[in-house]
Amino acid sequence: MSKTILEVKDLTTKYITRFGEDVYAVDHVSLKIEEGKSLGIAGESGCGKSTLALSLMGYYFAPLHYTSGEIIIDGKNISGLDPDAVRKDILGTEVAYIPQAAMNALNPTRKIYKFIEDVVLAHQPKRNKKEIYEMAKSRFAELGLPVSALDKHAVELSGGMKQRVVIAISTILSPKVLIADEPSSALDVTSQKMVIKMLRDMMDRGFIKAMIFITHELPLLYNVTDDIMVMYAGQIVEQGSAKEMVFDPIHPYSRGLMQSILVPEEGTRDNKLAAIPGTPPNLKNPPKGCRFAARCKYAVPQCHFNAIPMIEAGDGRRFRCGHSIQNLREVYENDK
Amino acid sequence: MKRYQKYFTKKIIWFIVTLIVALILNFILPRLMPADPVAAITGKLVSGSTDATASARIYEKYQEEFGTNKPMIEQFFIYIGNLLKGDMGTSFGQYPRKVNDIVGSAIWWTIGLQLPAIIVGWLIGNVLGALAAYIRKGFDKVLMPLSLFFSSVPAFGMAVVLLVLFAVNLKIAPVSGGYGFDMIPNFSWAFVWSVITHYQLPFWSIVLISIGGQAIGMRSMSIYELNADYVKYARFLGIKDRKIVGYVFRNAMLPQVTGLALSIGTMIGGALVAEIIFSYPGLGSVMYSAITAADYPLISATTLIITIMVLIVTFVLDIIYAFIDPRVKAAQFD
Amino acid sequence: MKNTLKQVFHSGKFVAGFGILVFILLLMLIYPLFNPGNPLERIGVGTFAAPGTYVSVYDSISAEKEILRLSDADDKRLAQMMSMEDRVSMIAWFTAMDIDVTGLDMNDTDALLEMWRANYDDSARPAGMTKSKRNFYARLNNTINDASTAEALSVTEVDLATGEATDVGQIGKTDYVNINAVANVKTLPLGTDNFGRDVLKELVSACGTSLMIGVIAGIVATIIGLMLGLLAGYLGGVVDDIIMFVTNIFTVIPSFVLLILISYSLGQDQRGASTVAVVIGLTSWVWTTRSVRSQVISLRNRDHVNLSKLSGHSVMKIIMKDILPYIASYVVMAFILQVSSGILAEAQLSLLGLGPKTTEVPTLGLMMNWAMLYSAHLNGSWWAYFPVILTIALISFSLNLMNTGLDQVFNPTLRD
Repeated sequence: MSKTILEVKDLTTKYITRFGEDVYAVDHVSLKIEEGKSLGIAGESGCGKSTLALSLMGYYFAPLHYTSGEIIIDGKNISGLDPDAVRKDILGTEVAYIPQAAMNALNPTRKIYKFIEDVVLAHQPKRNKKEIYEMAKSRFAELGLPVSALDKHAVELSGGMKQRVVIAISTILSPKVLIADEPSSALDVTSQKMVIKMLRDMMDRGFIKAMIFITHELPLLYNVTDDIMVMYAGQIVEQGSAKEMVFDPIHPYSRGLMQSILVPEEGTRDNKLAAIPGTPPNLKNPPKGCRFAARCKYAVPQCHFNAIPMIEAGDGRRFRCGHSIQNLREVYENDK
Repeated sequence: MKRYQKYFTKKIIWFIVTLIVALILNFILPRLMPADPVAAITGKLVSGSTDATASARIYEKYQEEFGTNKPMIEQFFIYIGNLLKGDMGTSFGQYPRKVNDIVGSAIWWTIGLQLPAIIVGWLIGNVLGALAAYIRKGFDKVLMPLSLFFSSVPAFGMAVVLLVLFAVNLKIAPVSGGYGFDMIPNFSWAFVWSVITHYQLPFWSIVLISIGGQAIGMRSMSIYELNADYVKYARFLGIKDRKIVGYVFRNAMLPQVTGLALSIGTMIGGALVAEIIFSYPGLGSVMYSAITAADYPLISATTLIITIMVLIVTFVLDIIYAFIDPRVKAAQFD
Repeated sequence: MKNTLKQVFHSGKFVAGFGILVFILLLMLIYPLFNPGNPLERIGVGTFAAPGTYVSVYDSISAEKEILRLSDADDKRLAQMMSMEDRVSMIAWFTAMDIDVTGLDMNDTDALLEMWRANYDDSARPAGMTKSKRNFYARLNNTINDASTAEALSVTEVDLATGEATDVGQIGKTDYVNINAVANVKTLPLGTDNFGRDVLKELVSACGTSLMIGVIAGIVATIIGLMLGLLAGYLGGVVDDIIMFVTNIFTVIPSFVLLILISYSLGQDQRGASTVAVVIGLTSWVWTTRSVRSQVISLRNRDHVNLSKLSGHSVMKIIMKDILPYIASYVVMAFILQVSSGILAEAQLSLLGLGPKTTEVPTLGLMMNWAMLYSAHLNGSWWAYFPVILTIALISFSLNLMNTGLDQVFNPTLRD
């Protein structure tokens, strides 16, 4: 069994709105990633997956606030650390982030190498600028990026190039965990492929030790990550290996999510394309029972009242549903 | 380098075209005046004389001198030709002084007063706007309405209030002029000191006027930039907030250079009127006395000089901006 | 539409600005009801009468008198009579006589008088004081003493036919009349201006004219700007190029200069208030054109516009139904700014002597111009210019506030 790189225990974070209300966008989330593994997180927009990505950084600023839980990176508990210590010693070096909108992620008026300098100096103030430049140059070369990009401003780069430069900058200090929030969704298919190749490449070269990849496109995860986790209304509803999750989802929501997308894989051809009716619950006032119950066609009355615990189904498979596996499988079989 | 050349050529051609249009307007508009300026000036000169042929001769002499007896288009080319020779004609009101002399001394007072005042106002306004955007809360709540109010006070109003407060009531500054009325311009300490004391009130009234508008613009710009994605990304890379604020303000301030270029025309209008309040010996006061004396060669010269000054400032700012902001470089040079 | 209005009136800034504007407008409508008449009527013969209530001296004499014995009446009378120069002279006398004046407050009439009565000696010959100066002090001393002794003024009526004067009554120092018993009392809250006009009445009327100038200028500029912006943005191509060429040129040529040239060319007789307003409007349309054009360009290829195009709607209909409603907020904002800059432009023109004809109506700029021509700012007549400045500032402040409020409603990133 290999080493656990990232372990999250019961992490809860909330937004405080302009009107002073609490919105728990990440609600008691626990997860574990081992060295060399990657985890995909999927869900509708607003399900809390992007917030989870931000929360995992251990660095909070308004309107996002930490409530409870632990984040342990390579044996080191970072929750409860002083924010400035997190900024200096954790961000970028232990855990790094690739934002959703990489198009605008770079300061338009700063040259790329200058920005890299700022990043490195923020963590290692004593480093020599020339040395940093050399390091950036060799890293760009290794990742197959044109070294000339270093001397350019962000506005002079194409969209796909910008995204890849952002990935290179995020990982310049070889962080242990990389959290990528929809890094490819705004790109054309070719650029998407290049980005994904680059991420895998970085895992292979050991620039990063583990990766979390967030997307709303489940099939994309199948090709990229080892495990897939589905989130709904701030909670994990199901987790399993990529293959299991795509071909044999247990939770009605995961199943709905799979059916709402065309998957160009064998064995999924018979699936009917169907959107999940209804909208996610308001997290200002989450329902007492199962959060999906209101939209679930298999819901029974007690689903609405009883809090549903996570059920471990072995081999890292887990799901959160009031019905048993057998029950669910039967119902699904009848549905066809 | 070729991209720069193309950009400059484009800008220079644009500058010249605008200049020509300005020249034409400047020539045509006063000549649409219903009254005959030559009749007015000869009327003034020959009043009291009863000799009709003498006044007719004087009339013709002036018509000749000012060229008002020729067709419009010919007058225009004479006008342009004279301008190219650096000759802006003879003043009606202060006849026979040359317009060149009058405008030539006034222009330096105006440049010396307004350029530093507008730049200082721009800088202070930007810093305040940036602070308002960054600190928000209390500071913003006080500063915003205050800036808005200050930018609503007309320039001449600010000039009058400062004048009454500091010169008339507190008597810590002179009431009018560019230097002591009993002095002859020279390079003595006494004269320089006199110029400096006379400079204060007009200077600060223009500064105070320009602060408000710039602060408001900078605040919106900074708020926009503070919400930009790169701020969040830089934060998650562990870059210090102080450094990020530096990014934001640089990015917000650069477009303010264009903002200055675009508002300088409006600002100068107010600043010229402020000059009149202080009887500052600049173009504003010259223009005022020219208007009172119906002295159209002088009016036409002052409006032309002001237009050219604004055109040059706009042109220079455009060029500077293109160099310092890579966003424009990317958009313009390709 | 209703929803937008509701949102707009939820913005604190907009409501504050709107409130100030409505207050000014109400004042403009209501005040003339209490003080009707021509605002340019010259009621005063002198220049710059100070603000206050004026009581007819003639009528006071014939009004029924009451006797009031007020203990501090003499001192008050003296305090009023003693000018600042008199006080300074008194201190000078003390100093010349080597009397210690430390701790004496010049404005404290009682203390000053006490010291004067204790020390003044008309036989004293302070060193270096001329005879005329000594006579001045003797006169001053008499005035001071007269004020406190009981003495009456006699009122004489002159028979115009014979030139004979007969005493008709006496006015004692303890005679008072009720102000309500005086037939003619005039309150001038802001005094009179250099022509002897009631400043407040003039200001209220000028405020209306200036607002009208602003609104006309705003309408002219908005119509031109809207037309050009729509044409350039919607049609694009050569039309756009030509319009933008002109617009760019007029962006850099200062509108203030054009305004001076045009106003000057018009000549004094041609410049009525509305002509000036139209001229201001004619020189300030560039910003509306620019903002309308950029909005229209971003709208031009939206789905709903394309749908209308495919459905064969006329250009006019598309512009009215699919474009105008979307840019309305920008146009309103530009209009508000133009009203405020129009008022300012009129004021600046008037200060240069290029304002509207002076005989018809007062405008804020003309009032300012008159006050400056007669050096109100140098002779302390603040009421002639300060209310004008404040009014201009308040009007543009309220308009700017409304504009900022609208901006925050329509551009959510700027919200607090």
